[in-house]
Amino acid sequence: MNGRRLALALGLAAFVAAVAVLIGVLDVGFSRTALVVVGLVAIAIGLRALFAREPPRSVDTPDPERSTVVPTPGATLHGAIDAFRTSETRYSVTGRRTVEGLRAATIAVLSRFDGNDEETARRRLETGEWTDDEVAAAFLSESLEVPRSARDWVADTVRGTSRFRTGVRRAVAAIEDIADGGDGGDGSLPRYDPREGASAVDGDRRHRTATSAVEGTERRCERATGYWRGVGVLALVAVGVGVVAESPAVVLAGVVGVGYAGFSRAFDPPEPELSIERELSDPDPAPGDEIEVSVTIANESDGFVPDLRIVDGVPAGMAVTEGASRLGTALRPGEDVVLEYTVSVGRGSHEFDPVLAIVGDLSRSTEREYLIGAPTTVVCEPELRPIAAPVPLRTAGTSFSGRLQTSDGGAGTTFHSVREYRKGDALSRVDWNRRAKTGELTTLQFHEERAARVVVLVDARRDAYLAPDPDAVHAVDRSVVGAGRIAATLLADGDTVGLAGIGAIPGAEDAEPCWLPPASGRHHEVRFAELLATHPQFSANPPTGEGRWLWQLRGLRRRLSTGTQIVMLTPLCDYVSAEIARRLDARGYPVTVVSPDPTADETAGQRLARVGRAVRRFDLQRAGIPVVDWPAAEAIDAVFARRAAGDRR
Amino acid sequence: MSEITRRPTIASSVAAAVAVLVAVLAAGSQAASALGFAAVGGLVFVVGLALGRHRAVDVGALVVLFGVVAGGLEATAVEPTIVAAVATVVAWDLAHGAIALGDQLGRGAETRRLEAVRVSSSLLVGLASGTVGYAVYVFGGSGQPVAAVTLLLVAAVLIVVGFGGGRTGSTRRRRTRP
Repeated sequence: MNGRRLALALGLAAFVAAVAVLIGVLDVGFSRTALVVVGLVAIAIGLRALFAREPPRSVDTPDPERSTVVPTPGATLHGAIDAFRTSETRYSVTGRRTVEGLRAATIAVLSRFDGNDEETARRRLETGEWTDDEVAAAFLSESLEVPRSARDWVADTVRGTSRFRTGVRRAVAAIEDIADGGDGGDGSLPRYDPREGASAVDGDRRHRTATSAVEGTERRCERATGYWRGVGVLALVAVGVGVVAESPAVVLAGVVGVGYAGFSRAFDPPEPELSIERELSDPDPAPGDEIEVSVTIANESDGFVPDLRIVDGVPAGMAVTEGASRLGTALRPGEDVVLEYTVSVGRGSHEFDPVLAIVGDLSRSTEREYLIGAPTTVVCEPELRPIAAPVPLRTAGTSFSGRLQTSDGGAGTTFHSVREYRKGDALSRVDWNRRAKTGELTTLQFHEERAARVVVLVDARRDAYLAPDPDAVHAVDRSVVGAGRIAATLLADGDTVGLAGIGAIPGAEDAEPCWLPPASGRHHEVRFAELLATHPQFSANPPTGEGRWLWQLRGLRRRLSTGTQIVMLTPLCDYVSAEIARRLDARGYPVTVVSPDPTADETAGQRLARVGRAVRRFDLQRAGIPVVDWPAAEAIDAVFARRAAGDRR
Repeated sequence: MSEITRRPTIASSVAAAVAVLVAVLAAGSQAASALGFAAVGGLVFVVGLALGRHRAVDVGALVVLFGVVAGGLEATAVEPTIVAAVATVVAWDLAHGAIALGDQLGRGAETRRLEAVRVSSSLLVGLASGTVGYAVYVFGGSGQPVAAVTLLLVAAVLIVVGFGGGRTGSTRRRRTRP
């Protein structure tokens, strides 16, 4: 820095001397050679620096406008294939591993949906008679040769697909065909899309201004942008060329550049004192509502802030629909500016992240990044609107009377069975027609109608945060909304409903998972909605940790009382979700699974994940656990109505 | 959900395009070869700006500047060259500003006030330094002593080095990272 100051001082001195010479006060003898030498030196310095120039660096800003991005099931082919791998498939190299996994998947679908036992399935796979597609059959069989003509080879080469890729795509299509029951949809081939590792979730950072709360104003960093780098250099080149060529015009052009070089170093960014106030048009919106946000930014300092760029910390559960949550402005002392935009709010409790403020000096050569804490919390509770159709519960109830038809015989309205008359049976239930015909004394039994005690269990593990496309509502959000509506329906029917969650709790690994014991009443309903909106386990953002589901499941089992039914909401996209349902059911708590479907069918991996989910559904149903599939495009009302109609038939 | 439009901001882009046009015309008024260089440079510059490429803008501005210098070498009057030089630097400045702003805040954000401050400050600096240079040139008269010119040149070199504009490595590179 000292050298620089010295150079600057000498430069100014030289300038003064030059002016003196021009006016005629001073007389110094210099030859033309000296002039040319200095000119050449200037060109040399200029060119040396010019080659090292980089484009100006600007700060990358995050995109808090977008809502959370979650992965699609089967985002990677390996992940989808690994779901089918069993302990007997051994470790092998990548290509081999894919084929082994696909073989396992084929055996899995053949043994479920084609009525083969495992031995037959294995044999059919080997002989290739399981599918009409010769390429797929040969790809997965060890003994068959892939039929391949010269034309195929040319076509493959032209299209740039390899034999392996074609094999994978056709095999996946054939497997899906069986899982769909042979009517295999449009029969199109999936895309081979091995974006291994490049998952859709590229960290929290890109979508948030800061991951932790900030109080007051916090300076994050200062950096030189290198914005004007090169101007001084060009100025020197111009001056040098001008002097050597004796052209005053070019020298003066260079002088202009020197002016800018000075400008670039003349300022320091101001130390801003910004105050931020945020106002919402509706602090208590319903899910899907659009609210207006207005942020007032005021310059509280005495200095002019010439360059202020603001990015508001829109929470992950909100998406900006109108306007922009960003602003570039200049603020005089005491002045303020208002930033207005509209967001759509998703379910949950949303806290605004700190505002990111980038402050530059007038010449934009230095930038400072600040985070300004301005927490505003929006709690968006899901609507507890009852579903028109009944909730498909299992037939097991408590000892209180209610509207759930149990499988036990007794008093009621729907016919159950006939049994021999026992002393004490009500006369109204004696089958008098039979008595008249045969002389036997029998008693009619009806399905007993009791109240159900239900715990709605939401699967909010990290692996359940899945959506068919990055911007769609993810499965956990749908589960939570579904949980609210199921609870409202059951409460309206006089049943008692509780709430439980399984999944990592962000911020606190040891915190208690969500638990609300079954009860009824208005007060209970309000607490239910509150928990669904605010419990950190049901956050709209995927948790970063895994969470200890086994431990949480054990805790849940200890809390459940006998005869409690479980309605479990899970996307069923991994082995653990099915395992939780199976374990609870085995312990005597009848489980019904309601499964929001987050699968897509673009790539081979996605289609395999979908087949895997179908296999899991089938296995659960075979184990006696009913599974209600809830497609992404449908409302839960339609799904339950169809289910109810199906039961009646 | 709408994507953020990360394209150069409109106001600065238009101002930059106008400035580069001024530069091309002013430089081209001096000599035909200068007009050729400046026009090609201006085209590259505008295309680079439209696409939001820093490098293309750099190259375009450099070619325009080359045209300005070429014109200046053949010129008899200095004024058009000064104007062209100021216009080139202003255009280059605003183009980078527009691209960076578009990148950081997107085209949808309200940035007019910030851009107005940038345009005026950039223009002011150029006009001021151009005027100072021009004044020295005019008052110095036509018969400039070699000593004065040499001293001016030494002054320019030292001031540029003193301001650090001639160096590549800035001492104030990012200090902290969160």
